[in-house]
Amino acid sequence: MSDAPPPASAPGSVRLVTSACVLALIGVAFSTAHFIWPTPLLFALFMIVGQGSFGLALLLYVIAIFRDLRKQKVL
Amino acid sequence: MSHEGLFSGSTENVMRWVAGAGIVLGLAAAAIMILVLLRKPEWRVTAHAKWALLVGLLVLPGMTMLSGNVVGFHKVKNSCTQCHTMDPWVQDMKDPKSTTLVGKHYQNRWIPDDQCYTCHTGYGLAGNVQAKIGGLSHVTHEYFTGVPEVIKIKRPFNHETCLHCHGESAKYLKIEQHVDAEMKPKILTGELSCFECHAAPHPRKKP
Repeated sequence: MSDAPPPASAPGSVRLVTSACVLALIGVAFSTAHFIWPTPLLFALFMIVGQGSFGLALLLYVIAIFRDLRKQKVL
Repeated sequence: MSHEGLFSGSTENVMRWVAGAGIVLGLAAAAIMILVLLRKPEWRVTAHAKWALLVGLLVLPGMTMLSGNVVGFHKVKNSCTQCHTMDPWVQDMKDPKSTTLVGKHYQNRWIPDDQCYTCHTGYGLAGNVQAKIGGLSHVTHEYFTGVPEVIKIKRPFNHETCLHCHGESAKYLKIEQHVDAEMKPKILTGELSCFECHAAPHPRKKP
């Protein structure tokens, strides 16, 4: 195994992961709110905003992973 | 504690458990993500962070979203009666003297639960998806754009909803018109509506 330090991650990846976390937190917040107050409005918001932001978070996270794998020449 | 206790197998109770699990999983996911966000930015792209996020960003929130869908779609089935707009129709349904079809179905417990949802969603996946999209527009009307003065059904009532339960039953086949060579195909294709012969499903005018 090489002792060389791993390549520094690009600030882009940090931004992607940070954005993914924030978006997923928004999704989880809507989901939890709708569990606690099960109103039709909160359910609609959970469906559109909550799941939408969670889907986007997953996409950003997958892009960040993909970029890192390419950088490390795994892919 | 009633027989509908903490561990009863009733659907409502199962939904309570699923909702509780959803809250716990959501809070755990939020805690992991907040911890990751509180660390230095460079740490967020390390292998440790990625493993933490695999659980905190992918697995736990994914399970929370799944629970949200299960509980939400269960609860939304009887949300029609939550908006005051529908009060007159709901009152007619629950009125023991009502002669409308919906009143008879309710009074005789022909549809024991979720009466609005059962008749106003088509059967199968596509039917439910349509109901969900329709439900979103109802929420928009109720909270944002206002409820129209005159409420009417968006598209003609699907005759297959009636036939799903009644069609081919012994009682149904006893009626001469239902098996008549000329009328049967018209009934099956929806060319002849059930309401041509049977009572109105709801009051013709706002009750």
